[in-house]
Amino acid sequence: MYSKEVMDHFMNPRNVGEMPDADGVGTEGNPVCGDMMKLFIKVKDNRIEDAKFQTFGCGAAIAVSSMITEMVKGKTLDEAMSISKEQVASALGGLPPQKMHCSNLGADALRKAIEDYRQKHGSQ
Amino acid sequence: MKKVKFVEHIRPDVTTDIVYMMCPMHLLKLDEMMGKLQKGQILELLTDYDGALEDIPEWCEKTGNEFIGVDETDDYFKFYIRKTA
Amino acid sequence: MQCYFDHVATTPLRPEVLEAMMPYFKEEFGNPLSIYPLGTNAREAVERAREQVAGLVNAKSTEIIFTSSGAEANNFALRGIAFARQHEGRHIIVSRMEHHSILNSARFLEKMGFTATYLPPDRHGLIDPEAVRKAITDETILISVIHASPEVGTIEPVREIAAIARERNITFHTDAVASVGNIPVDVKELGADLLSMSAHQFNGPKGAGALYLREGQRIIPLIFGGIQEGGRRAGTENVPAIVGMGRAAEIAKAELPHRVDGIRRLRDRLIEGIMKMEAVHFTGHPEQRLPGHASFCVEYIEGEGMLLMLAAKGIYVASGSACTSKALKSSPVLLSMGIPTHVAHGSVVFTLGADNTEEQIDYALEEFPQVIKRLRELSPFSKGWGDIEEGGTCIPKK
Repeated sequence: MYSKEVMDHFMNPRNVGEMPDADGVGTEGNPVCGDMMKLFIKVKDNRIEDAKFQTFGCGAAIAVSSMITEMVKGKTLDEAMSISKEQVASALGGLPPQKMHCSNLGADALRKAIEDYRQKHGSQ
Repeated sequence: MKKVKFVEHIRPDVTTDIVYMMCPMHLLKLDEMMGKLQKGQILELLTDYDGALEDIPEWCEKTGNEFIGVDETDDYFKFYIRKTA
Repeated sequence: MQCYFDHVATTPLRPEVLEAMMPYFKEEFGNPLSIYPLGTNAREAVERAREQVAGLVNAKSTEIIFTSSGAEANNFALRGIAFARQHEGRHIIVSRMEHHSILNSARFLEKMGFTATYLPPDRHGLIDPEAVRKAITDETILISVIHASPEVGTIEPVREIAAIARERNITFHTDAVASVGNIPVDVKELGADLLSMSAHQFNGPKGAGALYLREGQRIIPLIFGGIQEGGRRAGTENVPAIVGMGRAAEIAKAELPHRVDGIRRLRDRLIEGIMKMEAVHFTGHPEQRLPGHASFCVEYIEGEGMLLMLAAKGIYVASGSACTSKALKSSPVLLSMGIPTHVAHGSVVFTLGADNTEEQIDYALEEFPQVIKRLRELSPFSKGWGDIEEGGTCIPKK
């Protein structure tokens, strides 16, 4: 059902945990709906220096979270903002059709984290 | 098609219900039940299959049994056959 | 270590069953309707299987109709009876504990102009016979209540419900797919007019099911055609599968009395161990349940993750979580029992069979807490749910 990459990121998720001193936090989803993602970013000189996540959800949701935290590291905020759900899904070697919304969730959580950072730091 | 004789208030010795069972169950069941009957006894066979209107009188003719007639309800037929063979 | 704890999905085929089936794949390939020896051999084999299956549930062999599956038996029962009795009334009663093959048949009947009442269970998954009585109208022609739930293991008070149906001249069907072959089932004692079963739930092959139809009960066929199954279910018989079902029924009948206690003991050990963990809820009825069935909701994590991580350790279980279902909807059974949606997502179901061992239970009890711990470390709710809004719809964004 899942690709090798998805299983790898699910079984060995990268960047797990809370980030108490995060510069931006984005939460997307709802446990009632079966998945919720919380993404933390640390920003330096307009670049994402570090990212962490906490996710309640299925294997795909966890793999997406793990993959997206890997993808954003070192990217500028604008670059990170433009990461699409398709890019996340293809980096994971594809997702089953009924799980595509998980990649959506990841991309949305990331955007919310960046927006949160920008709001807190007054920059655009 | 031969004209079918309609009858009422026949008192059967044995009733067999094959309503909603598929064709040709009416002939198989008829054969099976007639084997169990004593000579002179009457079988009542309930079926919703209208092809039986033709088949059962014909079967009786072929096997030498008496076809008494048929009665109708809203959703099925009652066939009466006397074992004479 | 490989531990198969998903006997509600299917059970392993017994070698004796396969052996009994083999000739009918090979030299005994005849059509049971053919009158030469190849045909009559096949016919005799089917009729022997019919007696074996009838024996398992204390029916007459003429009361057994073979089908392709439990789902077909359920469809057949609901549609076949509803249409056969529609001139007497057009109301049916089913429970919310039913399998999709019953619920979707009921929905189809609603589209055909019938009305349906869906009875909710209590928190243990039990249907109250008095609620059934209250739901009956002058139009009611059919009641269908599942014998045992594959999702939460609860065994329903089917005998009481059947008696109520009988009083009112209403046909009563029970889906006994999860129970036949796993606990003693006696159609006479239950008082059912119709009862569905499936071979692969008791170490028989897939592709064989049966409907018990009490003598004298009329039913409209689901599959029209020839005279197979007494003119009630057309199609050339799946002879090898039917023979396998018969043999499996015979074995189940012989072994059931001494099989059940061992399975129950393993199950209780598993439950005891799992319930030591925090924020884990037992689902279904504590006593009135299938002997091999242990079901839980684990808070703060989601079922599919548990399934995948356990599978990586060779432990195979099921879940009623939304993410493990193709429709991405949580189990309606769990929700109807009053379990909140976010908790129902953490559903996990262990179903044991005669092939499981004590060592496997020990292994599962070692591994499962680690899986839960691991997934909770990933979860934003590791410290609790916080404020959760119930209700609303969850439609995945395009």
